[in-house]
Amino acid sequence: MRTPSLLAVLAFSSATLTSASAADATLKRLDTRFKTAVHPFLETYCVSCHGKEKAEAELDLTAYSSVADVLKDGPRWDLVLERLESEEMPPSKAKKHPAPGVRSEAVDWFQALRKYEIQRHAGDPGIVLARRLSNAEFNYTIRDLTGVDLKPTREFPADPSNTAGFDNSGESLTMSPSLLKKYLQAAREVANHLFLKPEGFAFAAHPMLAETDRDKYAVHQIIDFYHRQNTDYAAYFRAAWSFKHRGALGKPKATLADFAAANRVSAKYLATIWATLETEKADLGPLVKLHALWRELPAPRPNETAVAQKGFEQMRDYIVKVRAKVEPRFLNITAGKIAANGQGRGNNAQGVNSGSQVMMIWKNVQYATHRMKFDPVQLQVEGEAPVPPLDVANESGAGGEFGPGRTVPLINQPGDPDLAVPEGQRARYEAAWAKFCAVFPDKFYMEERGRNYFNTKIDRGRYLSAGFHSNMGYFRDDQPLYELILDDQQRKELDALWINMDFIASTTSRMYVEFNPGRRQGRGAAAEAAVPEVAAIELPATPVSSAQALEITSEAKIMQTFDRFLAQAEGGDPRGTQAIKDYFPWINATLRATEKAKLDAEPSHLKALLEFAGRAYRRPLTKEDKDDLLSFYRVARDRDKLDHEAAMRESIVSVLMAPDLAYRIDLAQTTTGIHRLSDYDLASRLSYFLWASMPDDELLAHAKAGDLHEPKVITAQARRMLKDPRARALAVEFGGNWLDFRRFEGIGTVDVERFPAFTSELRQAMFEEPIRFTLDVIQANRSVLDFLYAKDTFVNPVLAKHYGMPAMTGRADEWVRVADADRYERGGILPMAVFLTKNAPGLRTSPVKRGNWVVKNVLGERIPPPPPNVPELPQDEAKLDLPLRDMLARHRADPNCAACHARFDSFGLVFEGFGPVGDRREKDLGGRAVDTHASFAGGAEVAGLEGLRQHIRDKRQTDFVNNLSSKLLVYALGRSLMLSDDPLIQDMRRKVTTDSYRFQTLVDSIVTSPQFLNKRGRDDFAQR
Amino acid sequence: MNTQPRQSRRQSTPIAPGFTRRTFLQGVGVTMALPWLESLAGAAPLPSAALDQAGGTANALPKRFAVMFMGCGVNPDHWWAKNSDTGIELGKTLEPLEPIKAKVNVINGLFNKKSTNQGIHPAQTGNLLTGVSFKKGSIIQSGISMDQVIANHVGQETIQPSMVLACEQPMTGYHESNFSNAYSSHISWQSPESPVPNEMYPSLAFDSLFENRGSLRNLSVLDRVKDRAAQLSRRISATDKVKLDEYLSSVRDVEKSIERMRVDKDKAFERARDKDQPVFTMKRPDNGLPEDLREHARLMCDIIALAFQTDKTRVASLILARDLSSLYYPFLDVNQQHHGASHTDTSEGYERVARFHLSQMAYLAKKLDAMPEGEGTVLDNSCVMFMSNMLSGTRHDNKKLPIVTAGGLSGTLKTGRVLNYLEAGDENRKVCSLYLGLMDRMGAKLDHFGDADSRLAGL
Repeated sequence: MRTPSLLAVLAFSSATLTSASAADATLKRLDTRFKTAVHPFLETYCVSCHGKEKAEAELDLTAYSSVADVLKDGPRWDLVLERLESEEMPPSKAKKHPAPGVRSEAVDWFQALRKYEIQRHAGDPGIVLARRLSNAEFNYTIRDLTGVDLKPTREFPADPSNTAGFDNSGESLTMSPSLLKKYLQAAREVANHLFLKPEGFAFAAHPMLAETDRDKYAVHQIIDFYHRQNTDYAAYFRAAWSFKHRGALGKPKATLADFAAANRVSAKYLATIWATLETEKADLGPLVKLHALWRELPAPRPNETAVAQKGFEQMRDYIVKVRAKVEPRFLNITAGKIAANGQGRGNNAQGVNSGSQVMMIWKNVQYATHRMKFDPVQLQVEGEAPVPPLDVANESGAGGEFGPGRTVPLINQPGDPDLAVPEGQRARYEAAWAKFCAVFPDKFYMEERGRNYFNTKIDRGRYLSAGFHSNMGYFRDDQPLYELILDDQQRKELDALWINMDFIASTTSRMYVEFNPGRRQGRGAAAEAAVPEVAAIELPATPVSSAQALEITSEAKIMQTFDRFLAQAEGGDPRGTQAIKDYFPWINATLRATEKAKLDAEPSHLKALLEFAGRAYRRPLTKEDKDDLLSFYRVARDRDKLDHEAAMRESIVSVLMAPDLAYRIDLAQTTTGIHRLSDYDLASRLSYFLWASMPDDELLAHAKAGDLHEPKVITAQARRMLKDPRARALAVEFGGNWLDFRRFEGIGTVDVERFPAFTSELRQAMFEEPIRFTLDVIQANRSVLDFLYAKDTFVNPVLAKHYGMPAMTGRADEWVRVADADRYERGGILPMAVFLTKNAPGLRTSPVKRGNWVVKNVLGERIPPPPPNVPELPQDEAKLDLPLRDMLARHRADPNCAACHARFDSFGLVFEGFGPVGDRREKDLGGRAVDTHASFAGGAEVAGLEGLRQHIRDKRQTDFVNNLSSKLLVYALGRSLMLSDDPLIQDMRRKVTTDSYRFQTLVDSIVTSPQFLNKRGRDDFAQR
Repeated sequence: MNTQPRQSRRQSTPIAPGFTRRTFLQGVGVTMALPWLESLAGAAPLPSAALDQAGGTANALPKRFAVMFMGCGVNPDHWWAKNSDTGIELGKTLEPLEPIKAKVNVINGLFNKKSTNQGIHPAQTGNLLTGVSFKKGSIIQSGISMDQVIANHVGQETIQPSMVLACEQPMTGYHESNFSNAYSSHISWQSPESPVPNEMYPSLAFDSLFENRGSLRNLSVLDRVKDRAAQLSRRISATDKVKLDEYLSSVRDVEKSIERMRVDKDKAFERARDKDQPVFTMKRPDNGLPEDLREHARLMCDIIALAFQTDKTRVASLILARDLSSLYYPFLDVNQQHHGASHTDTSEGYERVARFHLSQMAYLAKKLDAMPEGEGTVLDNSCVMFMSNMLSGTRHDNKKLPIVTAGGLSGTLKTGRVLNYLEAGDENRKVCSLYLGLMDRMGAKLDHFGDADSRLAGL
């Protein structure tokens, strides 16, 4: 069989190319031969079926009267040649058949024409049309640009594909007003995820418009940070113990820091723990017992790690136990003259009650600043009278269901040995406890609590020690974590997160407004008079500023309220007065600082906007680009009166809509002829080939250095990129379209009533299998023949079950490589369930579709579309009178059908051992034993998958390699192939064959080819 | 506050029976919606072809829907209505509706099962208009609210798909029931994860109508995009130009359609103003938040009225006082915060709070009723629904919801009735069934919504 190839000559590629007189002479000769020999040949043997009247297979050969006509329609003529050469045409039933010499004259002529075309244009970059990003590329690009995988095109119509089946070429990707509207919506959606930071901006995984979304984001940033820190004492003890026994553990040279890293604990805090355990002297106080436990730990012995672990936990539990006995307690306080029970009405009735935000914050401060301290009252000193318990019953606000609640006092039993202090020893013991508690805090951070400080069991869920009852707000309480565990870098990070919280979500401001101490109190004359009157429409004249003097968050208003509170505090608890004096200036300072930070940050946002645009456009911005973007922002602020954030959002939308982002255009530097792509354009070409996404910084750095086009550099970059996780896009977008499973997730042909095993999880797993396999071939640089012959594949629990492999435990996203999948008749792509299912019409298998998929997608053979009057086979295998193979054999008996069916039926019959959803089977749905025998052209009789593989190995392996090479090239270039690409395909095949068929060799050939590196001048093909 | 000169109503006789401007425009192939204004009085007679294609009057008038919300329930002793010989008889809290009671329905006994027995407050509010079960903890998940479903169906025809307003700032963080306070603060949800941000500033709500904010912004973006494409176009090959032109012409197309919409809207509005037609006009509210709640609420109602009359939007939601509200009512002589006051819901003070909010609804309904439109008024083509998330704040009882509507939705909703569903059985008293019925009439026909798959019987 002749090499199948995919040759498409673009309509305008032949006639207008640069001229050379020798070539002209050859062309003239070819034209003469066409007119004198080939044309008459066609008239005699072909046009009775492929003419104006009949035009079978939609081929009208009368339309070609010159070589130029033929070159315009290269792919079809390639097919004509193929049919003539293989003597499939004219068909056996035809009345006239050409003598061998006559046939070869026509064949020779076309071979000569191909040769002529190829020699003249080998390596021609051809026309790579400008095009918009495909939906998939747009999604990947937005992911890499914003850092969040938003998939903005998920509701776009599916992209059409080109003749080779890929949806990434300008030939098929178009734009329309309705699609543009969707782009606009999508750009807005992405911009809704924007949030501004003190330095620059970022995007969240959810919209950031509503306060609650911003709030959620900021809170979770902090909580996630907390969760990343290890605060488990036992882990620290394990690390310290490992260090102590480093010799016995075979790491005599490891440092404390090494063990910190190995145990994933803070090196800083581990040093503190080590010193406390090893160098600190303890003759009294809580450390004595801890030291004893430490010394009791066993030395490392094989198989006895559990014993030591138990010891670490005992030490931890001891600390937690004694620490809980000395936790400080703070009663609710009030300010001013307020009823004894604290149940004043409203925040400002008489005095300030204990439920006021001011007093709640005071209480928060007390706890937050005492976590590394202890309550000395709890020590039981011999000879001292026991201290009476706190009078919590008469505590202000103790009884209110929604008040600050009753403090839960610490009650230690008399005679507690942990707390016992000999007579006269208080001072020494207090010093020992203070030291101990400074190293072992009662809590490292407050992550979550309940409505009332102590009543946390029933109503948890208030993150970050925040908000009283229904009041919101967040209060920072992480001093021990900050001081004991975090290093400088981490401290900065955490500080930034808390600053960001106000910056992003205005939490303090909203907390204060919610507390609402000055709002809508009076019914002043101004308020009374402000009844809206009828008047003409007035368009807004002034921008709305968030810092209106009227706002209760303004400094003037806060200070007014401060004064009012102070006045009410007179004659009450001095701590209450102090709390007021702390609260209002703190609120004011925070709000002013946030305000200032917002103003100060604006230049950094604009800088970040330009950087964002540069990355989005995948090239350095020109001065014009920058001016253009900044003036867009300016107009939004000045003319349209948008605030800074809204104007930023608009600017982002405009960047996302710019053709510089949404389109791939290789700028042409010259007017005519072939020239090198700029290194920036090349960076995009490379990244959209291997990642279906924008270039990363490293690639752009090479573009900037101007060395990307050098073969060494570009192949090294390609290797690097293929290792990156983003290379998955190559498996999905290239693999998915090459093997035609990209749309499998939407498959609706399977009858889930009859195949209850076909769940959405299984469907998802089927879709994932070829991606995992392809990605492995790509990233491990395996032989491309593994697609055909591999013994391994990848499964997750649901697919393993479907394949009858030993049961796997774990989640659906846990995939493993099964090296001996051949034991279950799997391995490589051929027996993958996704293809067997996709190419079965539901209630039966389809040897026709399965076979057609093998010869067409895998081997690259071109099969004409089925004629319109093809008889349908029954839909349900269970209702067939005859086995499917017999019905097919009957079908092939008709010579009209045989020509095509002979080419693929056998390739499908070998899969009869797999049911309609790719399950292995012995019997078909009608209860008949399945038969996987098939005979191939040349008489080989084989059975099953192994038989098919043997046939491919013997006869079709080169077809496979050629096909894969061609398809990869089409995908890489973003255009259909031309005759002149033929030498490159042959070259790819040669190189990959001599290099153990490694996948990356194909990529190397492509990225160093003139087709990939070059571009046509801007006026070439202008006169189309 | 009726601002329309009385006689204009008589002057504005339709030029031809059964004719409306909207249908005329549809007849001649303009599909953009226009405010239905009686601005063609005195215009030249229409070509008969256009008349032939025009449909019936009632169908052509736009229908509008507004929902108004107060949190924490009402005073159950004074929230009642009875059918009587002289139309319905209204309890004290509902008295503000007396002047328009023939256009009112009081609907008793409905409930939202998914928000019962979950926890108090946020869990009784976040799905009030969505009817789905929702999540505790930090992951917010409710559903799309019925007002937004309507907006998704009819919103494209107006400048603003919907207006989502509030007189009180949202809360964030978590309630002690471990439900997010976001549920207490929002009744309108555009997606299960994200509420529609509430607009609190009357000035910005106002601007959003007259600045045509969304479309203006899109025009600016498209304008810039066009410039960029033109710049690029100079540096690329002829074949690339063909592809880029495809983009450019798409941009131009979209631009034109937006401009057409703006121009049409503005023209119609101008024309009405020039002819002293009865378009309600109001002064642009000042920047900042009004300090007085009464002023704030009234401005929000005015903006909705204006938006409805001029067909800038057909869907509005207004939170007068959110759940867990911390509003104060010194002018009602109530010195507790709203939420605190609701814990003694049978007090006279809390009755005044509920009546205050209900009177905002009455204000809006009367305002719409004073706007002539076609044969009737804007109210006749609208439905304003007032509701709370519970009946009793003291008991946090949401087994029955207080609901009252005003307006007849162009004759599709019979009014002047008291509807009682309490005895009908839980299956037949779902508030989501009411929503299905209302959404139907608004042109958003769904098979099921929330926990309901049938329309409320007898609506």
